[in-house]
Amino acid sequence: MDFATPPRDGKRVLKKTVVQYIIAGLASLKGTLWKTDPLMMIVTSVFHSCLILLPIFLLGHNILLDQSWGVSLWSLPEFFTDGLTIAVLICVAFFLMRRLFLARVRAITSFYDYFVLLIAAAPFLTGFLAYHQWFDYRIVMILHILAGELMLITIPFTKLGHMLFFFLYRFLIGSEYSFTRGSRTW
Amino acid sequence: MENKMSNQEIKPIDTEKIKEMLNRQKGKMKRYLSFCSHCSLCAESCFLYRAHNKDPQYMPSYKIIQSLGKLYKKRGEVDRRFLIEIKGIVWRNCVLCGRCYCPIGIHVPSMIAFTRSICRSQDVYPQPDEVSSESWL
Repeated sequence: MDFATPPRDGKRVLKKTVVQYIIAGLASLKGTLWKTDPLMMIVTSVFHSCLILLPIFLLGHNILLDQSWGVSLWSLPEFFTDGLTIAVLICVAFFLMRRLFLARVRAITSFYDYFVLLIAAAPFLTGFLAYHQWFDYRIVMILHILAGELMLITIPFTKLGHMLFFFLYRFLIGSEYSFTRGSRTW
Repeated sequence: MENKMSNQEIKPIDTEKIKEMLNRQKGKMKRYLSFCSHCSLCAESCFLYRAHNKDPQYMPSYKIIQSLGKLYKKRGEVDRRFLIEIKGIVWRNCVLCGRCYCPIGIHVPSMIAFTRSICRSQDVYPQPDEVSSESWL
């Protein structure tokens, strides 16, 4: 497929259609986890995207931002963020099942892993309960705030540090595993 | 039997040397060990794991946690028996082919090589007759 025509009148014209973009995108999955563990790839992608998108574009958070600082980001509709929260909780359940029932994961699992999974899931669970106003709202809200703060505080001290580490090692540092060009690390 | 063991059994372990080596690479290695999510996605990329009927002992993360992870946990206060135990993990269970792939970007071969250098500094390495008698691969 010839995606670029030679310069014509000083302009390079790109002739890739939408279909060709989609095909090229799907082809980039070749040699990735898609082949060995497609379900895990989907679940982890959904989990991590929602993990980042939800706190930033949630209506409730943006209202609080607006009240405090007078600025806010765009917000997603509430039924949509509700659905995304349920998606995150389903992904957490999948990770828990995986950790309990897959032999290769169980071999390197300890209490620490379950604890960190709970730390990651707690803000979303308490947020969901708070939004629907189940149980005592005040207590659930305080738990939600504490859970969120706990998750942020434990980032540099637990494996949640992969939040930053991932971007450093896969994008910024040109090592063997970087998405951009890299060289052997040793 | 005694000749084979003489080099490896009699000399005492120099824990100061081990600690010094561990400290030299502490920042990088401890970061790698800390940020390993224990997800086991590196398993399928290891040829030895696949060849040994998907035995979790051959997973790159397992190898690292049981060898270098334990070395750091014990802060280098180990005895010769421990080093001989991890000798099997870092020499028999890994060929340093570099195929292991971590979604987070943890570089497992360099950790295995580092553990090997720590063992070698204490004269713990696979003997030639060990290689021929055991089924290594």
